[in-house]
Amino acid sequence: MKNIRNFSIIAHIDHGKSTIADRFIQFCGGLSDREMSEQVLDSMDIEKERGITIKSQSVTLDYKANNGEIYQLNFIDTPGHVDFSYEVSRSLSACEGALLIVDASQGVEAQTVANCYTALEQGLEVVAVLNKIDLPAAEPERVIEEIEDVIGIEATDAVHASAKSGIGIQDILEQIVEKIPAPEGEIEAPIKALIIDSWFDNYLGVVSLIRVFDGEIKAKTKIKIFSNGDEHSVDEVGVFTPKRVKTDSLKAGEVGFLIANIKNIDGAPVGDTITSAKNSVTEALEGFKPVQPRVFAGIFPISGEDYEKFRDALAKLRLNDAALQYEPESSDALGFGFRIGFLGLLHMEIVQERLEREYDLDLITTAPTVIYEILDTKGNIHHVDSPSKMPDNQAIAEFREPIITANILVTDEYVGAVISLCIEKRGMQKSITYMGRQVQLVYELPLNEVVLDFFDRLKSVSRGFASMDYQFTRYQESDLIRLDIMINQEPVDALALIIHRDDSVRKGRDLAEKMKELIPRQMFDVAIQACIGVKIISRANVKALRKNVTAKCYGGDVSRKRKLLDKQKKGKKRMRSVGRVDIPQEAFLAVLHID
Amino acid sequence: MLELPPLSLYIHYPWCVKKCPYCDFNSHENGDKSGYIEELLIDLDEDLSYIQSRSIHSIFIGGGTPSLMSEKDLSQLFTGLRQKLNFDQDIEITLETNPGTFEIEKFKAFKKIGINRLSIGVQSFNNQNLKVLGRIHSAQEATKACIEASKIFDNFNIDLMYGLQGQSTVECLSDLQQAIDLNPTHISFYQLTIEPNTLFAKFPPLLPKDDDIWSMGEAGVNLLEQHGFSRYEVSAYSKQPSKHNINYWEFGDYLGIGAGAHGKITLIDDQKMIRTLKSKAPKDYIENRKKTTEPIDNPAFEFMLNALRLKEGFDESLFTSRTGGSIPSIHDKLNQAKDLGLLKQRGSKLYPTQKGFDFLNDLQALFL
Repeated sequence: MKNIRNFSIIAHIDHGKSTIADRFIQFCGGLSDREMSEQVLDSMDIEKERGITIKSQSVTLDYKANNGEIYQLNFIDTPGHVDFSYEVSRSLSACEGALLIVDASQGVEAQTVANCYTALEQGLEVVAVLNKIDLPAAEPERVIEEIEDVIGIEATDAVHASAKSGIGIQDILEQIVEKIPAPEGEIEAPIKALIIDSWFDNYLGVVSLIRVFDGEIKAKTKIKIFSNGDEHSVDEVGVFTPKRVKTDSLKAGEVGFLIANIKNIDGAPVGDTITSAKNSVTEALEGFKPVQPRVFAGIFPISGEDYEKFRDALAKLRLNDAALQYEPESSDALGFGFRIGFLGLLHMEIVQERLEREYDLDLITTAPTVIYEILDTKGNIHHVDSPSKMPDNQAIAEFREPIITANILVTDEYVGAVISLCIEKRGMQKSITYMGRQVQLVYELPLNEVVLDFFDRLKSVSRGFASMDYQFTRYQESDLIRLDIMINQEPVDALALIIHRDDSVRKGRDLAEKMKELIPRQMFDVAIQACIGVKIISRANVKALRKNVTAKCYGGDVSRKRKLLDKQKKGKKRMRSVGRVDIPQEAFLAVLHID
Repeated sequence: MLELPPLSLYIHYPWCVKKCPYCDFNSHENGDKSGYIEELLIDLDEDLSYIQSRSIHSIFIGGGTPSLMSEKDLSQLFTGLRQKLNFDQDIEITLETNPGTFEIEKFKAFKKIGINRLSIGVQSFNNQNLKVLGRIHSAQEATKACIEASKIFDNFNIDLMYGLQGQSTVECLSDLQQAIDLNPTHISFYQLTIEPNTLFAKFPPLLPKDDDIWSMGEAGVNLLEQHGFSRYEVSAYSKQPSKHNINYWEFGDYLGIGAGAHGKITLIDDQKMIRTLKSKAPKDYIENRKKTTEPIDNPAFEFMLNALRLKEGFDESLFTSRTGGSIPSIHDKLNQAKDLGLLKQRGSKLYPTQKGFDFLNDLQALFL
């Protein structure tokens, strides 16, 4: 056990986490050069395309250190985006140490700071690494100072590395061996293991990534899932190299996979504890704090026939995305679907994309909203996660919205632009601190302003030099109203929004205009109206198409005509008919595309 | 229950002097034409079993530019056709012609050989438009061709396009008026569309705005109707409808011979329908001709694709006899079309409304 090192990597997006991980694998010979595709750990298509990591993954590598001994390095990959900080804390709770990777030209970013604090709180040893050291813009001295100032850890002997060019990889591995403590635990004790992640494989059933704290798990070992008391006989254990490799056992201190013929997709929930069937431990591992979704949206299948398939897909997805919460929802306009809770907007986009790609569904997502608190005139408090669940206006005594505290790090030249953005989003400044070229801004912001397009805007006003982390702070009374959208005089529930009264006229107008661009011309005029109560505040018209006819005679060749009509029909498949009006997917999210 | 419909014959001639930039038909500028007529007749021999004792209702020779055929070749073709086929008493035999000086001189010979209807590819009476369209004839030649045709043939059609580069409604109506004044029996008035794999698709002309093109089309319909050219099909206006086209629209049968020619045949004994397609490249056709056949797997849709182009629509009994399907089987779709205001029913007759004509793509797509 003394030669095991379990660690995660903390890094901001683009600071090179996945590339460093790839270099480790290459250095330790986990994959042949032929098998090495760029960023092997990001296995989902979406991860590769977007260049981000969403799900944690692990890899076990054998490293022969300079002292001549062979070490088992278990690296647990973590996502870098704020939406997935929950996944980060999950990965960290299986480790004794973490590498903090900072881009030597960009410096420390807010998200990195937050994750680093999580690691320190959990008692992990944090080892700093400066990456991209060979870039002309690299300023290692300044960045080291920043790490010490902002995060407060020693960084003078941080390894200077370039994952891209392969510089300093061995030095990092040496530091892992030297600085990160070996795990502790009792092999002879009853089994105690943490489920870091679980996913469903159509052939194997549930596959779980686990960290064993005590005991030893082998094939045929009888185990018990702590939360539900279900007992299973283990089929197979092993490690990822990153290929899945079967091993004889997983012992205390080790990280690897477990397959136990669990067919029920809720059978091995993430964060749960695994113990021995007989002689069980009486107390579960701390796991990690359950995560609260902050953003809610309705998702509906475009074709009502897909509802069952959609429900199954959600159940499977939830197994390895514990942050995903959902309950059935029905809409007059969109039929049956689910109200789904997300960690943030990126999480929402990724869930929709995974559902569409991995489960071949065509879906419509409605505008994201947060949970509001409404105090009614009888003194009861309601939590409202959808505009359609709002009580009547007369019944509302107090309307409260969630406020977050945002911690924004930005280079000094863009401070002004970021402050203007925060003011536009109804923010209240709490503090401003200068730390070298970095400025730390702390703002209180209404969450509903943040979930829509705040991250994109922040990135664009700062040319990518601002980053942000946030925490929920409190509910606060606010002058909120419901904005309804009517299409050809019919209110469409799925398009309603809760917004601040001061923004309502401008937003109503922009929204109607944006929808006008997104709704294609049809056989009749389409009137889009934004209203508050019975008052219409803006209107836009999609003029009727006058004709849709291809009159040419094809001399008896119907195949071309058929192709044309097929194409037209496919286009319609991406739309949902509301009343007689065909509304494309994007129009339901039009609110995301207005400032 | 499928019944045998009238049988037409389509003959394709795949060469042109110059390929037009908008054209996506099977036409070629160069190539060896020798042996083509002989091959057409052998091709026909191999399709004779499809006739199933019928006589020929109509013949259409299209292209390409079939008017390029020499008198000798045409005679040879028709001698062969008459040997192998029984022509209806009142058969309609149409030849597509380019309105060039070269062709005008052959009109009399065409008539003598047996052609009784000309379809003249005028497209426009405006030299600027003709140039952009890549046509090799002039407005003067087009006028002369129509005058000559009217002297020799009782029955001729003028093809005219609208929605051309820089065209105004006034210019479009002027083109139409000139066509009307030449007193044809039939005018095909159709919108220029940009088809994939054409020169125009690669280098698109600057076409008028959609709304302007639609106005042009509407003004054109009115002018034609005022002068007694009734719109019997989406883009066909006539004092005397084309039998050949009507047979297409009513989902009748046709043999298709020649390079890339399509045919549609009812096999009455098997109670099914097939499509035939011949080798497309002229060289392949002459040297190593192949025929592919495929079953018509969605006859109701294909019937609608054709029959809904007719202003008078169709009788329920026609649907039954031409597709072998039953009206109840498409009941829901018919109702949907009626609810959308695209289709009407009078007794057993179903026909597209004005709106159905305007949104024909949507109407047809319902049956997909």
